[in-house]
Amino acid sequence: MLKSAIAALGLGMAMGMSLASPVLAADAPSEIKLGTLYASSGRYASISMPVHAGLKLWVEQKNAEGGVYVKAFDKKIPIKLIAYDDQSNTATASTLYNQLITQDKVDLFVADSGSVLTAPAVTIARDHKMFLFDQTGTGGSFFSKDNPYIALMSDPVSTIWPKPIADFLTKDGPALGIKRVAILYSTNEFTGTQANSLRKFIKDANAPIEIVYDQGVPTETTNYTVILNNIRAAKPDAVIHLGYAPNDIAFLRNVQDVGIKFNMLFCIYPGLETELLEKNVGAKGLQHVFTYVPPSEMAYPVNFGMNIADYRKAWDKKYSDGKIEFGFNAVAGYTTALVIEKTLSEAASLDQMDLRKAVFGLSGKLKTLDGTFALDETGGQIGELTPLGQLELNDHGHIKFVAVYPHEVATGKPVYPRP
Amino acid sequence: MLAYPLIAGVLFGLYFSLLGIGLNLVFGVMRIVNLAHGDFLMLGAFVAFGVFYLLGLDPLLAVPLAFVLFVIVGIVLYGLLVPRLQQSRDPEMLSIILFFGLSQVIEALVTIAFGTSERSIPSRELGSLMTAAAKALGAKPEGGPVDILGQSFPAAWVISAVVSVIAIGLVYVYLYRTRLGTLTRAVMSRRDEAFATGINVDRVCAAAFGIGLGLAAIAGVFAPFMFGSVTPAFGADATVTAFVIVVLGSLGNPLGTALGGVVYGICYMLVQTFLSSWADLLPYVLLILVLLLRPSGLLGRKVRVA
Repeated sequence: MLKSAIAALGLGMAMGMSLASPVLAADAPSEIKLGTLYASSGRYASISMPVHAGLKLWVEQKNAEGGVYVKAFDKKIPIKLIAYDDQSNTATASTLYNQLITQDKVDLFVADSGSVLTAPAVTIARDHKMFLFDQTGTGGSFFSKDNPYIALMSDPVSTIWPKPIADFLTKDGPALGIKRVAILYSTNEFTGTQANSLRKFIKDANAPIEIVYDQGVPTETTNYTVILNNIRAAKPDAVIHLGYAPNDIAFLRNVQDVGIKFNMLFCIYPGLETELLEKNVGAKGLQHVFTYVPPSEMAYPVNFGMNIADYRKAWDKKYSDGKIEFGFNAVAGYTTALVIEKTLSEAASLDQMDLRKAVFGLSGKLKTLDGTFALDETGGQIGELTPLGQLELNDHGHIKFVAVYPHEVATGKPVYPRP
Repeated sequence: MLAYPLIAGVLFGLYFSLLGIGLNLVFGVMRIVNLAHGDFLMLGAFVAFGVFYLLGLDPLLAVPLAFVLFVIVGIVLYGLLVPRLQQSRDPEMLSIILFFGLSQVIEALVTIAFGTSERSIPSRELGSLMTAAAKALGAKPEGGPVDILGQSFPAAWVISAVVSVIAIGLVYVYLYRTRLGTLTRAVMSRRDEAFATGINVDRVCAAAFGIGLGLAAIAGVFAPFMFGSVTPAFGADATVTAFVIVVLGSLGNPLGTALGGVVYGICYMLVQTFLSSWADLLPYVLLILVLLLRPSGLLGRKVRVA
């Protein structure tokens, strides 16, 4: 009896070994195919290229080390980056996303940057049951309980981005004298969702704050002079402009050109792409502007990957020609890569649902240069929060960040009204 | 409420006229659609970047430089491309394909050379030479926005509007007060008859093509100030806007473009004021309306008998 039990156990172990061993060694692919898109031209090039460059930097770094560790095969495997140029065109992006899945048969499916170019990938990933590593597509509508094929890597979802602004306006604003708020936003998923959330947060707070101007403009808008005149007529104490980088550049330049001074002015991209904005608007034009404080200014402690200082050095070494600016999006691309690397080191197999399980398993545990990676049940990013800050000039006339809200992370007091 | 968008519309509209006039001149003379028009405009902006960032000079000095440079580029390009195009059965259709390809090549080359990021020049630098000269003469220029009828507008708008009026005036002088202009109008009116009477049509066309590109490049010098920033991908949108302005004024009549630009500018500013979310639909709505109601454009009838 005992003999037969031992024999059965031995047989079982042998069978288990014979099934498991080939998966660990012989069946290991020669490369892990990572498929993604980027926009080398068009409206979204300036936010897409830094993200892609961050991802590419990681791929080259890992391949130079022999690849990434893949737990499913218990070995290091090189990454093959398959990347196509969608030229900021959503129709082209749709075709290329399909090609990555059906022709190239990628193992890891990564979206282009920004909500506009991520939108087609969300549907395609779901249709093909591919897990989408959503880099910076923060649109609220991408995430739902019935779609398990997505998780946001590097930015919080758009619905919670403006929470610090709304809290600042409704809690600190009345004491400062802020009673009338103007909201101007570009009509796309990223900024449109933020405008909706901001409106809701302000309304729900029941604070003595009145929204006196609330208009959307096409994302392609490059001239705000007439709109600024209309905003001025509404006499707001605070102006919140929610747009992409080219919108912010045109908006802030027009503010300077027309000579308008709003007591409080918020824009998104002076914080996210500070170098780009400083180059185009000038340090003086950014002085006292409220914005989101990016991870590069917060210097988060990390438990995986390079910290912000080391990453900056690696970036400057690789992209020394200065054609791609270092900023929030450069960090986002590298953050995506770190999540992918950690996922591969934890996932039981390359099956898409196993990848999802591994990604969600990192939630709350992974701490990168972008902050704490944390997902809600729909795959929306709820960590990596961006506090509200204000840009000031240091003694050398260069831009510096002052975090002003929430109070627990504040590094200074807000300057209000703008001198 | 109405005065501001109206004045802004006229100022910006004059710039829009400059943006479209080169495209119309090329179409009027050669019957080819230059889909790379916006890309030459973008290249004009890069000339301004070079003048300011490399030479440290007032970007306004890029205006004559860009014009001369692109007149030469236009004449060379004409010799390389257009005569072969004219020999084809359907030059208008083929020109669309050819210049679309050229547009893509220009955008790709500029992207490779300079990257994809937005670029601009500080607004106060436009006209800094004039400011310095005024100071040297003892005047005290204030700088900053310009007041017109109690409303303040960016100084760059006023400077670009003035340059646009001068450029349109010079196009008028060229077309109606010079011998080359008379020959140009002859070719615009009846190309085959002009050829039969011994006019060197190729020479006339090369000059018009060069001037068309030169005008686009001048418009490009002001683009960073009018649109906030410029990227290598700027050309496609600029071509669409220029095309609408040209059709609005009258396809084939360069001076009709002046009117088309002002009408477009006023419409754009009014839409931005009262229906801002719909502003990007304006070019297409105007295009459809013009084609349905007055296909020849606002100044259509005078074109062919000029």
